[in-house]
Amino acid sequence: MSDVIYTTNLTKAYGKTLVVNNINLSIAKGEIYGFLGLNGAGKTTTIRMLLGMTTPTSGECYLNGKRVNPNNLDIWCDVGYIVETPYSYPELTVKENLEIVRKLRGIADRNCVSWIIKKLNLEAYTTKKTKHLSMGNIQRLGIAKAMIHKPKILILDEPTNGLDPAGIVEVRDLLTHLAKNEGVTILVSSHKLDEISKLATNIVIIHKGNLIKKINGEQLESQLQKSLLVDGKDRAAIQEILSQAGYKVMNQKTPAVLQINQKNAVQNPGKIATLLVQANHPPTLLKVEKEDLEMYFLRTIQGTGGDQSE
Amino acid sequence: MNKFATSASVEYKKFFHSKIPLITLIVCMLVPFIGGFFMFVLKNPDFAEHLGLISNKAQLIGTADWPSYLSLLAQAISIGGLIVFGFIMSWIFGREYSDRTIKDLLALPISRHMVVLSKFVVAVCWCFILSIVVLALGLLVGIMVNIPGWSQDTFVQDITIYGACSTLTILVSTPVALIASIGRGYLPPLGFMIFTLVLAQIVAVSGYGQFFPWAIPALLSGGEKGLNIEEISLVILLLTSSIGLISTMLWWKIADPFH
Repeated sequence: MSDVIYTTNLTKAYGKTLVVNNINLSIAKGEIYGFLGLNGAGKTTTIRMLLGMTTPTSGECYLNGKRVNPNNLDIWCDVGYIVETPYSYPELTVKENLEIVRKLRGIADRNCVSWIIKKLNLEAYTTKKTKHLSMGNIQRLGIAKAMIHKPKILILDEPTNGLDPAGIVEVRDLLTHLAKNEGVTILVSSHKLDEISKLATNIVIIHKGNLIKKINGEQLESQLQKSLLVDGKDRAAIQEILSQAGYKVMNQKTPAVLQINQKNAVQNPGKIATLLVQANHPPTLLKVEKEDLEMYFLRTIQGTGGDQSE
Repeated sequence: MNKFATSASVEYKKFFHSKIPLITLIVCMLVPFIGGFFMFVLKNPDFAEHLGLISNKAQLIGTADWPSYLSLLAQAISIGGLIVFGFIMSWIFGREYSDRTIKDLLALPISRHMVVLSKFVVAVCWCFILSIVVLALGLLVGIMVNIPGWSQDTFVQDITIYGACSTLTILVSTPVALIASIGRGYLPPLGFMIFTLVLAQIVAVSGYGQFFPWAIPALLSGGEKGLNIEEISLVILLLTSSIGLISTMLWWKIADPFH
């Protein structure tokens, strides 16, 4: 079992409601897994089970080859986490909150507090009580608490919530650096699919408690659908011409253009251009667009009945 | 530093950086002053006549002497302590849920048992400190009011009763921690404390107080001279306290804090 994060048939049911159903995850060292799903898909419950906060109804979780159970406390020395929105003790300062985490994690080196404060750009708020922090800085503090002990595994639920664009880039760079250069294994869930697409090396999609897609960057790249966007002065006429030529033309609402997904159109837009020019309806727009992760995600969850696939 | 000392120092820091110690200290410090005021009223009937209702209430205490005064303090700690000590327990445990910081305590190299035990230690220590403050301040106020009837023998006995009442009241507060953990916040334990306080009065009046753990300290404080508590009462109270402690530890270990 060389995988750093590993689950076997992980299942959680609350009464008759199946929240997570037979999830099998295997994440190798240094990988960044994007964990995607709609609200209520089971992401957070899976993360809670991985962190031993919620007991699985059946199945098992392993971190660093050790089974997650209440008596195996050593596991947590190498794990940093954020579960949902991070919270801190409001009457304590940023430094005091981090001191508490340092102590509870048994870190002897007191310098780790100032190190992580600097790393997360929290120097200006060191002596500020956390009840006076902005949402973005509370999030930074949450990330600092997750990383203060330089863990080998990071499990982060919505880590960039509330961060400004600069903060998002900082965190992304930090996580990428940790994975690439220090071999930290990262499981990150987020609704910001654009962010995940820039960060993750692999994508896992969970829907209605079922793991419906597990895919790496290369596979994702090949599976992202391309489409040809066409527009002109008389959109209805262009649609008519292209339909008569055998193309399946769809009306895209935002932006309002015509869309063709067929491979022969995407691979040969010149042919479409010629056709429209000859018909006296020259296109004002002719562009091949690649589906982004958001569209891929939506297409994936709409197109599956919830069966697990590798 | 071993893990328990670490955990206890963290709980100490969290607690003493909050406003709860100050609030509870102020509340407790009022008790000796109120008791001293009653003694002053009883000692000065002419002055009491001008006070109407307060005078009548002061008469309920009996005579203005040291045994009555120390008994009043013991009763105050036995009844008021249920609320104040319970409030401390409910805050120390319930705040982790209300502030949603519970998540930070669940995946640590320190066991949840240790975290719970540390919380109990901090809570119990502070409750004992408050009891001592009430007594020390009470003695000072008593001397200032110049309460008559000082006797070394009865004094030792009264102090012993006060100490026993305080200890039993603190011990019987442990179930509040369980209610705060199950209820995930402050409100359920506050409701529980008020309920037990009211029920304790009813049970005590109906003559079964010695079997109801939350009525036992008050019965001891208002009883005849000496530690006249029955063994069965002590067993019931200790059992209740142990159940509170162990159940809270078990709850933190096995319960899903999110569901």
